[in-house]
Amino acid sequence: MRRLATGSIALALLVGLAVHGQQAGGPPPGAQPPPPAPRWADGRISFSGSPTDVGNWEGPANASIFFEMTNGKEVRPGPSLPTNLSLKDVPFQPWAKELYLQRHASLQADDPHTRCKPSGGPRMFHTPYGIEIVDSPDTNEVFVLAVGAPHSWRVIHTDGRAHPQDFKPSWYGHSVGKWEGDTLVVESTGYNARAWLTREGVPYTDKLKLTERISRPNHNQLRYEAVIDDPGAYTAKWGGGWNLRWSEGNEPFDYLCQENNRDPARMTGPKGE
Amino acid sequence: MPSQTLSRALQAALAAVLLGAVALAAQAHHSFAAQYDSKKPTSVSGVVTRVEWTNPHVYIYVDVTDAKSKKVTNWGFEMGPPHMLQKTGWKRNSLKIGELVDVDGWLARDGSHSANARRVTRKSTGEVLGAASSNSQTLAGNQGTQRPAP
Repeated sequence: MRRLATGSIALALLVGLAVHGQQAGGPPPGAQPPPPAPRWADGRISFSGSPTDVGNWEGPANASIFFEMTNGKEVRPGPSLPTNLSLKDVPFQPWAKELYLQRHASLQADDPHTRCKPSGGPRMFHTPYGIEIVDSPDTNEVFVLAVGAPHSWRVIHTDGRAHPQDFKPSWYGHSVGKWEGDTLVVESTGYNARAWLTREGVPYTDKLKLTERISRPNHNQLRYEAVIDDPGAYTAKWGGGWNLRWSEGNEPFDYLCQENNRDPARMTGPKGE
Repeated sequence: MPSQTLSRALQAALAAVLLGAVALAAQAHHSFAAQYDSKKPTSVSGVVTRVEWTNPHVYIYVDVTDAKSKKVTNWGFEMGPPHMLQKTGWKRNSLKIGELVDVDGWLARDGSHSANARRVTRKSTGEVLGAASSNSQTLAGNQGTQRPAP
């Protein structure tokens, strides 16, 4: 934990310097580029805040992993990466395309996440109420904490281990990570395929091998990209992603989807009218 | 009266700021569009009968009396989670049982007497409390995560 403490101090100094720079007669706020991403004492990039830089990442609920057409025009939600595919170019197998369109037509009424089910991969990164990425170098783990819905977390092992040969499929799968420069690259497999891959309802199967690339281009932005390799649902690898915004002052809070969740019964979609 | 005008202007300005903050902060763990219809805004006046200050979303219940038939209907309104409402000025006891309120929101798709509250106005004080629980639900009533079929 000493490294974390040292890192926090370094992080605080860096952010403090950035803030000081803003106050020292530079252009007015908003006109200058955001502060650089903070780093730990060893130089590694940090995805988290500090005691003097409280905040976490706001999952953009409107982010989309691919672009759809509306009234003849492609809709490109602001947080989505401009390099995302158009829906027509996503290599769905026919059954997966049909299932996706069905979920879309129902306005996502059957989303397992709404039923307080853990939803890993991209779904976790566009869930509101705050996401924290906690780096624990002493234990060679990175934790992803999501406040929204079932108040859940996942662990990414960074000790160099491989995926186990035989394991029980799970909601979040088994994740191993490594650093490629300033990017955390996470390989996951072993999913039970009972959730949705994204909020829009992108399907997947237990054959999924997911690669996630997480980086922080500057203090205020987290870049999330996913490559989906699922021969059970797609004919080729494909991927996409979005940017998350730093939500200053936001902290995890006691949000428990299970406490009094009345939404599922009322999520009829267009059928209710 | 100038002072009253100023007071109302200040209230309106504060309400606009508050609602703006809610619009930025308020999102939901579910698809707004699957449960509510942003094309069907509603506005009711009535008496608060119950406040459920619980996760994942706060609910308030309001008895609404039909002007002609005098029939009383109990409406349920979904709002944001407790923590988010607290950040925008709500308290667990902000509303008293029996007090009069105006509630603006969007109707549920299932035809029940329920809606997603956009804002609650306390009749006794004129205080306006933003309440939206779903992504992008602003005063203009955007469509949340709903997108037309491709």
